[in-house]
Amino acid sequence: MNDRCALDRLTCVLCPVGCELEVLKDEAGGLDVQGNQCDKGVPFAVEEILHPKRNLATSVPVRGTAATMVSVRLSGPVPREMIFPILAEIGRLRPEAPVRRGQVLIADVLGTGVDVIATRTVI
Amino acid sequence: MDPIETHDVVVIGGGPAGLAAALGARRAGAGKVLLVERDRALGGILNQCVHDGFGLFLYNETISGPEYAERLIEDVVREPIRIETGAMVLDLTPDRVLRINSRAGYRLVRAGAVVLAMGCRERTREMIEIPGTRPAGVFTAGSAQNLVNLQNFRIGNEAVILGSGDIGLIMTRRLTFEGVAVKGVFEIMPWVSGLERNVRQCLLDLGIPLRLRSTVVEIRGRDRVESVVVAKVDEELAPIPGTESVIPCDTLLLSVGLIPENELSKRAGVALSPSTGGAVVDQALMTSVPGVFSCGNVLHIHDVADWASYEGFAAGGSAARYAAGERAAGGTVRITAGPNVKYALPQLVTAGTAGVEWSFRTTRPIRNAQIVVKGITTGKVHARKKFGRLLPSELQKIKMRRAVEEDLEVGCHE
Repeated sequence: MNDRCALDRLTCVLCPVGCELEVLKDEAGGLDVQGNQCDKGVPFAVEEILHPKRNLATSVPVRGTAATMVSVRLSGPVPREMIFPILAEIGRLRPEAPVRRGQVLIADVLGTGVDVIATRTVI
Repeated sequence: MDPIETHDVVVIGGGPAGLAAALGARRAGAGKVLLVERDRALGGILNQCVHDGFGLFLYNETISGPEYAERLIEDVVREPIRIETGAMVLDLTPDRVLRINSRAGYRLVRAGAVVLAMGCRERTREMIEIPGTRPAGVFTAGSAQNLVNLQNFRIGNEAVILGSGDIGLIMTRRLTFEGVAVKGVFEIMPWVSGLERNVRQCLLDLGIPLRLRSTVVEIRGRDRVESVVVAKVDEELAPIPGTESVIPCDTLLLSVGLIPENELSKRAGVALSPSTGGAVVDQALMTSVPGVFSCGNVLHIHDVADWASYEGFAAGGSAARYAAGERAAGGTVRITAGPNVKYALPQLVTAGTAGVEWSFRTTRPIRNAQIVVKGITTGKVHARKKFGRLLPSELQKIKMRRAVEEDLEVGCHE
């Protein structure tokens, strides 16, 4: 056993083995990953601890149609801390029908390089 | 009254399993295929699952539920499949006559084969018997998901979530995004019943507390929920006196399990399994009623929509072959769930079938697990597979290459 405190415990989701990873701080202040059965587990855990990225999904009211809502998501994951600022941007959206699946509703949202896209077709 | 209309294959339900079943039937050569959906639109539960994580297996990318549905529907409408939405199958007989009520009226339909793909419904407050008053503000997680995602309702201001099923976890995040304060998720079992990635992304990311071995013992409030009382539970899952605490809230979400919706199956005389709540099926996903097949959440609860669709493709293909006159020849072998295994499906296999793959769930989390398929009388091991960790929340699979010749047990050993 060592007395260094574990920063986090997480399950690697890169393959079905699902290694249980433990991330510790090493003497130099870097991250030490344990529990991985292959090389891919280390960058996975380091990224998840230092720069976690997430997608986000919600739905917004749509105008000009009987359907009430159009669902939206991001075209790719963004740094986790951007989720709530982006939600505020999406909250202002009131798209007009027709909206097509995959249609860009906000391009490069808040300079993240990802788009807010519609995830269903509303005619 | 004689049936006025015949089809090779009739699929009941237009969600991820039923859509795939209709496609599977066409691809296996069925000429006339009818797909019946009671909702106004196809897609089933996918329409309200706006979060991503769908399609990883079927489409090799992670997309949202509505996108997954639209892609499957696009494939379906390219085929000469007759689609009937807003139509309800009222009855199904053992000789495959369906009574259908639709906008066009009531009629009888005779099917060469039937695929059951009716999905599941949620357990309610009444089914878990939470004492207290009966105010507004108590929702099942899925009905809350429908109200928020499809109908733009704000369902409350302060919520407590009972049960750690996936829909409850997803809704915890969804409500938090909508500005609802989620006070905590309470789970009676010592482990989470939803997927690990949902615990991480829906609870840990947002700092929502998770309390295991805890449950809601009382709901308080006159017109609207005013608070809930939570308590720890003992090994027998009974609330421990003295551990109660009151949580002020106006909303309680229940994510306490799903029940395969087999009312029609029962009317047709389909034998059900107590451990899955769905039909007992063979390797072709055929039920105890010849020519009636089952797939998706009506067969057993899935954690990933893609697997429900794969089952749909398989059931649809089997149905098409049955309608064309193909029959399995040989005796029937029984498969039982061994130690630590909740169920293994299919439960029946025609003797001589090679390459059978079972879906199974464990009864509890198990580390360094070995799944063993062995003969009940001979004790001979026919297949084994190792898993670093098995969770009851994760549906897993094991395949046996050799032909099945004897009654088998699927067991899990540490």
